[in-house]
Amino acid sequence: MIAYVVAILIIVGIYMLLTVSLDLQYGYTGLINFGLVGFFALGAYGSSLLSLADYPFLISVIFGIFLPAFAVLPLGLLTLRLREDYLAIVTLGFSETVRLLIVNEDWLTNGTLGLPGIPRPFSDLGGQLSDWAFLAIVVSCNIIVFFLIRIVLTSPFGRLLQAVRDNEVTVVSLGKSPLRAKMRALFMGAGIAGLAGALYAHYITYVTPDQVLPLMTFYVWTALILGGVGSLRGCFVGAFLLVFILEGTRFVRDIFPGIFVVEMASVRLALVGLLLILVILYRPYGIFGSPSRK
Amino acid sequence: MGSEAYYINLIVNGVVEGLVIGLSALAINLVFAVSRFPNAATGDFLTVGAYAGFGAQQLGMDNVIVQALFAIMAGVAVSLTSYWAIFRKLAGRPMVAFLLASIGIAFFSRSVLSFFVGHEPQFIRLPMRPLIEIAGMRLQIMDLWLALVAAITVAIALIVLHWTPIGRRMRAISDNSVLAQASGIRSQRVMVTLWAMVGVVTGIAGLIFGIKATVSPELGWDVLLPSFAAAILGGVGSAGGAVLAGVVLGVLQELSTPVLGFSYKVVVSFGVLLLILLFRPQGLFGRRELVR
Repeated sequence: MIAYVVAILIIVGIYMLLTVSLDLQYGYTGLINFGLVGFFALGAYGSSLLSLADYPFLISVIFGIFLPAFAVLPLGLLTLRLREDYLAIVTLGFSETVRLLIVNEDWLTNGTLGLPGIPRPFSDLGGQLSDWAFLAIVVSCNIIVFFLIRIVLTSPFGRLLQAVRDNEVTVVSLGKSPLRAKMRALFMGAGIAGLAGALYAHYITYVTPDQVLPLMTFYVWTALILGGVGSLRGCFVGAFLLVFILEGTRFVRDIFPGIFVVEMASVRLALVGLLLILVILYRPYGIFGSPSRK
Repeated sequence: MGSEAYYINLIVNGVVEGLVIGLSALAINLVFAVSRFPNAATGDFLTVGAYAGFGAQQLGMDNVIVQALFAIMAGVAVSLTSYWAIFRKLAGRPMVAFLLASIGIAFFSRSVLSFFVGHEPQFIRLPMRPLIEIAGMRLQIMDLWLALVAAITVAIALIVLHWTPIGRRMRAISDNSVLAQASGIRSQRVMVTLWAMVGVVTGIAGLIFGIKATVSPELGWDVLLPSFAAAILGGVGSAGGAVLAGVVLGVLQELSTPVLGFSYKVVVSFGVLLLILLFRPQGLFGRRELVR
């Protein structure tokens, strides 16, 4: 039971990082990233490949952070001068392209079979203890990211980001460059998503293209709007709720034993779709949010 | 001669597939022109249409016209329901609310379908027709029929949009919705017509794709990205441009297969999309849409 709770907490921690990354981009800067999973995938595969080539854990993870962070820059340059939905479409296309590359470029990624045997730090501690150690890594990453983002958001730059979100014309008229601010938000967000991917890969110890389906992006969107957009505390609430719901669907099969695993995937997809629609219709400011807070 | 015939075949396939992409891009642009959001559920409307055609076949109706009626009805039903139950209630909300709701609709409809019909690809079987020869090229007569149906659908949509009173109202709302309402245009009625049109177009597109390829729950998702690319290439909000761009993309995708393989079709569309955004973000026939 304890082992299960630790495993769940690690997954929650990884989703928290993703939700914070999206909140930085959408909640604080107004950028619609529909390809979050692409940056997660680059982080996961980038870090795994280095790690499998015997580079140390820390170097691999840092590579997993910077690979997606630099990959997002050309996408931003192309789309940010245009209307806001172009970024959504382009990032969505980007994440599918990344996934197709992973599926097809066997020489690098081992295709649909995935990369097995990714080393996990502290694995020599053995079973239970190594899980606890990994949880400690995930929690410390969350704390570091949380404080870094707090510092960024309360700095003049953070106020610039929120100003870009609220009124871009004003920002321009004050002589600031919204493009540069947005590029930085994209860069940081993609890096955090990459970190989440790297941690995930080293925790699960294998990566496959099936782990980086577009659905995951919208899991994170669901978590973000469940918890409340534009609040870091909301990210944590949202990630918890999301994993609670996703894990909860596991037990549906205990109640209705007739449902097959494949059908379970459908049920889960339906649930996320329905949840997205309902939250947007009835609780646009999150489960606990109110319009006045923003 | 052999390789020539191969390439001609690729081009014909590309045109048919391109017309499907074009129809789907047309549906995207219709919604975009009036409601100002890229409808990510468009692909899954196609899937619903394809399964309705397949369902008609399973019920023993082998007539393509009956199957098409089923596909159209299913397309209209899912499109109108989405509008009435969801998009209508989001009026006045930011674009991202519409966009996320459309993703929700896409996931929901796809998962409901796959729950009941499973994930195995299905086939819509039509009676075999002989190959015909035109100017030395051997063509499948079915492809010509499918292309013709797609072209007629496009023509009707364009005629409705440009030569009927309801189409004029649609364009009026698209240009300036406040002014249109002030001049006494009932936007509700126009919107219902618009979404019904979207349903017809996507239903037919889905059936054509189902006949040409296979019917699976992921059908629409695979068409969605090329359709977005076509909608942007054609010029956001431009109906005719979207169809033309769809055909261009369809042919490019097919011609890329000998070099890049089948799995990179979507990537080709994505590459074209990036090139358009780099060199001509307003598309071939669109107005420039910069950040305001």
